[in-house]
Amino acid sequence: MLQIQDLTFRYGKRAPVVLDGVSLTLNDGEIGVLMGRNGAGKTTLLKSIVGVERPSGGRILFDGADLLAMTRRDRARLVAYVPQDIQFGDLSVFDSVLAGRMSYFGLKAGREDISAVERILTDMGLEAFASRSVTELSGGERQKIAIARALAQEPKLLIFDEPTGNLDIANEQLIVREARRLAKEKGIGVLTSLHDINQAIDLGDRFFFLKEGRVRYTGGSEQITEAVLRDIFEADVRIAEIEGKRIVINGGFYEE
Amino acid sequence: MADALQKNRKRNRRVLVTLAALALLLAFACLFAGPSRMSAAESLNALLRRGSSAQIRILWNIRIPRVLAACIAGAGLSVSGLVMQTNLNNPMASPSTLGVSNAAVFGANLSIIAFAGGFLDTGRNVDNFAAGANPYATSVMAFFFAALSILAILGLCRLRSFAPGVVVLAGVAIGSIWTAATTILQFYATDVGLSAAVIWTFGDLGRATYRTDVIMAAVVLAGFLYFVLAGWRLNALLSGDAAAKSMGVSVERLRFFSMLAASLITAVCVSFLGMIGFVGIICPHVVKRLLGQDHRVSLPASALTGSILLLLADTFARSIGQGSALPVGAITSLLGAPFFLAILFSKKGGTR
Repeated sequence: MLQIQDLTFRYGKRAPVVLDGVSLTLNDGEIGVLMGRNGAGKTTLLKSIVGVERPSGGRILFDGADLLAMTRRDRARLVAYVPQDIQFGDLSVFDSVLAGRMSYFGLKAGREDISAVERILTDMGLEAFASRSVTELSGGERQKIAIARALAQEPKLLIFDEPTGNLDIANEQLIVREARRLAKEKGIGVLTSLHDINQAIDLGDRFFFLKEGRVRYTGGSEQITEAVLRDIFEADVRIAEIEGKRIVINGGFYEE
Repeated sequence: MADALQKNRKRNRRVLVTLAALALLLAFACLFAGPSRMSAAESLNALLRRGSSAQIRILWNIRIPRVLAACIAGAGLSVSGLVMQTNLNNPMASPSTLGVSNAAVFGANLSIIAFAGGFLDTGRNVDNFAAGANPYATSVMAFFFAALSILAILGLCRLRSFAPGVVVLAGVAIGSIWTAATTILQFYATDVGLSAAVIWTFGDLGRATYRTDVIMAAVVLAGFLYFVLAGWRLNALLSGDAAAKSMGVSVERLRFFSMLAASLITAVCVSFLGMIGFVGIICPHVVKRLLGQDHRVSLPASALTGSILLLLADTFARSIGQGSALPVGAITSLLGAPFFLAILFSKKGGTR
């Protein structure tokens, strides 16, 4: 279980506050979705959890252990991260995923590291790619490799930052399905930021709406109302119901 | 899956073995080249310590230290370039990105122009020997300023947590300070001092002695060992700082130590041999184009390619300069750049 308590963040002593006392709780196997406008602090919050940024105050606990006080290696075995801008060196798919095992081996990957990577690649249907260079792959495939690498860390918590940002619809659905499978089958907690509200409704169990560095609203999908969305995004949206599903419409109804 | 990976691994091993064999062969062959016009048989005899004492001295005191220097400096500069490029996520990064060479050149100029230090060579400068001057004075000064520059810049970059863009720009700025200082110094120099100082900056492997080779080898080996130990962390760094940190890498520490090691290697090589440009850019890029960026492979491959390029360039330099060797620094670029362009624009290169 992830517990964030009163987290504050600023990039410098005189810089403006990015996170202003954020608190939230996410259970194992649960998918949490962070929503908010650009600059609301979503990425900073996610980066603080994985140890990329250092918050100025507050606590981040996982199963009671303080993530901020851990060594990078220990944290890497607990929390994995799929960043917004995915980069890879010119390595084979296998080696790229094997890099995720780094917190388990020192100089040379052991047999269990190799077999873990083989298992993950087979599991995700990537075994045919294993010996190819990541640089030859498409955006969706690279995204999957990044997820595979995160899984190689055998994390209990998986952090995604805009995982579907640059993907076409088919790849978007693929990633969303993968995320849900990980949470539901393996009991991994997933915390992600998402722009697309409909995708968020589709994917999330619990929603955290960030505005000006604070969590304004928390709850299940019933929390997502026109009033909440207008407050958070400061834009006009409507919610329609189609086939029993709520669909957020964010355009096409403006009065001339 | 296992088969394809096995094939990759075998190919990499084959390439490394081939490169190593080529480097050894070249190093051996280079013992037979030089402006003294010794025949192959005479050279071989001298190698076995037969033949005239002059020939034995040429081979053992001039050619062997020189060939060793080519192997060591080539490997060192090339590996440093590779590590700089990885660390700074910048294909233009080179061993002297932190302005190390410029600082070394300033130190050498100061020694030669202001203190009339043991310039050009250890043994050749009779006056200095007579005066009891330290024959390594210029190299020591060059290294001192290079080290000073490294510490200054790493200290500065610490303030901005070694963000790659900041490091590159700070390196350019610091480098230009040293260059400006060198220009001012040269403005006040005498004709002789100026020409000596300028000639010092031309990279020349002829300055190598066994002692300088041992010092260079120690620094290059220590650095190389550190890079090999950090191989997986460097691989992780290719995915960007954030991803590397989340995989458990202390990015700032890694960047500090690997830039320190790369810069020290460069400082030692430049201080003893002068500027040898482009090896640190060409060789890592050729290796990355052909073998990818996995540091387990690209580190040894870069080292070997660097040795090979410098051996080739030096032999060329010794063969065409009538009686005296051309500056090898110019030859590395002259020979390497067209080859580099060919690989850069080749089909194979285009897919990567």
